[in-house]
Amino acid sequence: MRSILCRFARTSALALALGGSWSSNSFSFEDVLDTPAFSSEIAYQHLLLDVQILTSRWVAVGEKGHILFSEDTGKTWQQADVPVSVLLTAVHFASDSMGWAVGHGGVILVSTDGGLTWTKQFDGNEANQSIIRQAEKYVAELEADLESATEDEAGDIEYELEEALFSLEDAEIDAEVGASKPFLDVYFINEQKGFVVGAYGFLFATNDGGQTWDNYGDRVENFDRFHLNAIGQTANESLIIAGEAGVMFRSQDGGDTWETVDSPYDGSWFGILSIDEADGALAFGLRGNLYKTTDGGAVWEQIDSKTTSTLMGASFDGDAGITIAGNSGVILTSRDGGDSFQEMIREDRLGNVSVAYVDDGELVLVGESGVNLINSFGQNL
Amino acid sequence: MSNANNGAASQSSKAIGPGSFAENLIFTNRSVILSLFLLVTVFFAYNASQIKPDASFERLIPLEHPFIVNMLENRDDLENLGNFIRIAVSVKEGDIFNKAYMQTLSEITDEVFYLSGVDRSALKSLWTPNVRWVEVTEDGFQGGPVIPDGYDGSQASLDQLRQNVLKSGQVGSLVADNFKSTVIYAPLFEINPETGKPLDYKAFSLELEKQVRDKYHEKNPSIQVHIIGFAKKVGDLIEGIGAIATFALVTICLTMTFLVIYSRCIIATVVPVITSIVAVFWQLGILKLLGYGIDPYSVLVPFLVFAIGISHGVQIVNQISEQQASGLNALASSRMAFRNLVRPGILALVSDAFGFLTLLIIQIDVIKDLAVAAGVGVAVIIVTNLILHPVMMSFTGLSKGGMKHAKKVENSEHKHWRVLSFMSHPSVAPISILIAILGCTIGLYYQKDLKIGDLDKGAPELRPDSRYNLDNDFIISNYSTSADILVVMVKTAPEECATYELMDVMDRMQWKLQNVEGVQSTASLVTVSKLVTKALNEGSYKWFELSRNESIINSSIQRAPSGLVNTDCSMTPMIVYLNDHEAETLERVVDVVKSLIDEYPSENYTFLLGAGNAGVEAATNQVIEKAKDVMLISVYAVVSFLCLVTFRSFAAVICIVTPLALTSVLCEALMAQLGIGVKVATLPVIALGVGIGVDYGIYIYSQLENKLRHGYPLQEAYFETLRSTGKAVSFTGVTLALGVFTWIFSPIKFQADMGILLFFMFLWNMIGSMWLLPALARFLVRPKKVSTVEAK
Repeated sequence: MRSILCRFARTSALALALGGSWSSNSFSFEDVLDTPAFSSEIAYQHLLLDVQILTSRWVAVGEKGHILFSEDTGKTWQQADVPVSVLLTAVHFASDSMGWAVGHGGVILVSTDGGLTWTKQFDGNEANQSIIRQAEKYVAELEADLESATEDEAGDIEYELEEALFSLEDAEIDAEVGASKPFLDVYFINEQKGFVVGAYGFLFATNDGGQTWDNYGDRVENFDRFHLNAIGQTANESLIIAGEAGVMFRSQDGGDTWETVDSPYDGSWFGILSIDEADGALAFGLRGNLYKTTDGGAVWEQIDSKTTSTLMGASFDGDAGITIAGNSGVILTSRDGGDSFQEMIREDRLGNVSVAYVDDGELVLVGESGVNLINSFGQNL
Repeated sequence: MSNANNGAASQSSKAIGPGSFAENLIFTNRSVILSLFLLVTVFFAYNASQIKPDASFERLIPLEHPFIVNMLENRDDLENLGNFIRIAVSVKEGDIFNKAYMQTLSEITDEVFYLSGVDRSALKSLWTPNVRWVEVTEDGFQGGPVIPDGYDGSQASLDQLRQNVLKSGQVGSLVADNFKSTVIYAPLFEINPETGKPLDYKAFSLELEKQVRDKYHEKNPSIQVHIIGFAKKVGDLIEGIGAIATFALVTICLTMTFLVIYSRCIIATVVPVITSIVAVFWQLGILKLLGYGIDPYSVLVPFLVFAIGISHGVQIVNQISEQQASGLNALASSRMAFRNLVRPGILALVSDAFGFLTLLIIQIDVIKDLAVAAGVGVAVIIVTNLILHPVMMSFTGLSKGGMKHAKKVENSEHKHWRVLSFMSHPSVAPISILIAILGCTIGLYYQKDLKIGDLDKGAPELRPDSRYNLDNDFIISNYSTSADILVVMVKTAPEECATYELMDVMDRMQWKLQNVEGVQSTASLVTVSKLVTKALNEGSYKWFELSRNESIINSSIQRAPSGLVNTDCSMTPMIVYLNDHEAETLERVVDVVKSLIDEYPSENYTFLLGAGNAGVEAATNQVIEKAKDVMLISVYAVVSFLCLVTFRSFAAVICIVTPLALTSVLCEALMAQLGIGVKVATLPVIALGVGIGVDYGIYIYSQLENKLRHGYPLQEAYFETLRSTGKAVSFTGVTLALGVFTWIFSPIKFQADMGILLFFMFLWNMIGSMWLLPALARFLVRPKKVSTVEAK
């Protein structure tokens, strides 16, 4: 079934022009951040990590810089032009035309044509420099403060300066290693304002549609630099970031200030999903942990997920239907707005990372085996 | 005695005219000659009995091909990749989660553990402690052996086991996708560290059959055991070679039966068989003295030598009976036979020998060995058949029964020969030639599908329906695994096999390779690194990527399987799993690998093709493909040249060689249609077929020319030729075909292929020489010209 539905449009003659074609193509290997994704007819069968449904197009992202789109409700998938070939971890469109994809190497890509073509806005090297600049600025400020400080204040400032110098040193070491840290999720409130979160406390924000990105990493209390795995927003515009070791932050002012949530769980969160027209959301993660909030993330209540498999991605049908996908082929479905779930194990037992409702209870599922269309029972169509 | 003989000899030479120096030398010292033969035969027979089987892997592969050179240079580091066996234990009904099955699996695991040659520390099964389940928890990893603590076969513990299996990640590798079988994976020691002795494949394979398969099939009838692996395959092959002795016996019996029917004479039956067996002893003895062994390919040669010996022997018997029938005594008849046959006999045998020797141009040892073995064999026949045979017959002559039968045949009307002689008739000949052209066209059409290399799935050495290949099918279809592996070796300075630069390049190459048609998947340190990086990040797929942080890479490959990195981290393989090992697939993938190597040049590493069974086959195919045409041209050139030298006539060359060429074309068409590829086993067959097939043409043509010289018109001359030689030639075709016929039943696929093709070529060459040769002669040979030459 899958092979019929997801048969790749044979658009690119280049893809399988075997043999000599590659040797004549003599870009004598640039960095993966500068190497366009290889055009592949089998990309739709390989690791994909996120998918979003637009009005007339579906867009999925995954390994090797693959961004695939389908304009015929998933029957065929074409590959978009992408300037990088790193693993892309998440995609988010603020509108039918403007979307961002993020991934390893600290890459942020933007599309202004609804996912057909992509350009690079930002990468890990810039991220590293941005963090260094900010650390240097902070050090300079502290040094200036120290000049004018009274003896009473000096002790505290000196302590803080020492910490700041350590941070600067860390940032410089990171920069030497290169663009090694991935972004793990992206969320745009509108076409101008958005956030990306990632490994080791990566958190950047933009107010100009991604032209410039500012380091917001110091706006959350994440001293251990835990991975920030997911970001989401309730219908009432509460932003929630969740990550490793149960860290969770929320913002009620559009992301300018962040408060630390008293997390109900101390394992890793992998996703946040808005589930109603108010302030409700689900948070889910390691070993089937699943929690629900109705107040924008202040208070969380545990939901019985009936599984111990890690939950990775979820989708809300706009009514009361929710589907969550995870490792080992697990699919959870709720028909009551997330108060109770049924567990299903897909036959292939492969992991899935993201899922999205498309129509009448049908969903598109992406993960280890690429893209699959499924029914509400988690079975392939 | 010797005086009497000399007297007889001189008497007979008077009757038959003076002989050559060689003839006189031989027939005046018959006793000496016989004694010498006896001594030499005893000596060679002793040596022949000492000849060693030699099935070494290296002789089968083109050692000078760069792929093979690279593979052998890195052999020590690659060893861990190849030599293991997999034993799948399946249930006939239900699934593996039941008490009886697990009990049997446990017993078989113990059994395998104690087999000599098994690397016990690396043995893997659900019952070995190294197979564990792992789970990521809030506090890190949690895990344990797959068999739960306190396992007692109860439903609760079986349920726990099922959970553990799912968490172990072994589904697809150690546990079948459908949970109806599990695998015991046993790496083997090439050299047993306890005894210091190399692994005895035959004994090991037999142990597996006895101690594992037979024993547990009996103990628990609801299970079935499937065993694959290099050691098992080699064991099965060695066992298959055992059938040769039976084949030899059957061949001798069949041949004797036909000889009796043909000659109705015990002497004419026994003497050719004895001289042919003597030839085989000589051949094997000489090979042994030259330092050769006998392998699954060259074991065919004694059969050929025997058959060729018989066919030439029949010519001699035929001549002698003809001479005896005309009133000469045994000695004189033998001398006449010698005199008439020495020229065409030597020519035929020398052209056989040269035909075989063209095989020497193929840089694969086992084919060269075959060439030498066959060359020696034919050289030996020149001596045994042209000297020993007539000398023996000169004492005995044909028996009275034999003579009576010969006379009866001689006096019969030869209706069938009369009919056949019309092949040279002016109105039949053009039709024959048209048919030949048509046949050739059809042959060329079907021959287009001819492929290089092995075409069958699984182990191509064995038959598709052999137990090994059935087991192989079972395991391939139930587990995520491929049997066809191309290994690209990557060399670096010590400790640099896992740099980001190299890993990144391998990652890119692997993906591009996975996009090539025929590639199933790929694996390398990069694959391990990505998997472990993901696992270390709580199993999140968002981390399934190569890190550019060297310390993350290093920690991710710390526990990489030993086959994926050598001890000083200077060599790491990139493994490409293929759908099949068809030549087109191999060529396509190898070409892509080569262009990828060019695409990512660096001074820090070198990518080298190509090990794995697919690497070896790709190299072999390249050598075979290059050699095929060269060999065909050479063998035809040699045969044509010899004919030209002997008959001093281009017409003769065309008459003799054209039927051969037709057979070659038809043979290739047959190969294409039967799905037999041009490979190590079948390439020599093409040369052997031409080299031996030319005999028929030479005998017929020389006799035909002889009769034309005596002034017969063509059709009459051909009738006379058929009457004297035709019977022997048709008999020769049958005996040769019989000699290889038994091979068709060999459990070893390539031997069967050789048997089928030789059987076909021997028969068709005979038909070609008797049907097409006279038709060609009608247009090409001017009887008058021949007779005028004679007159001068």
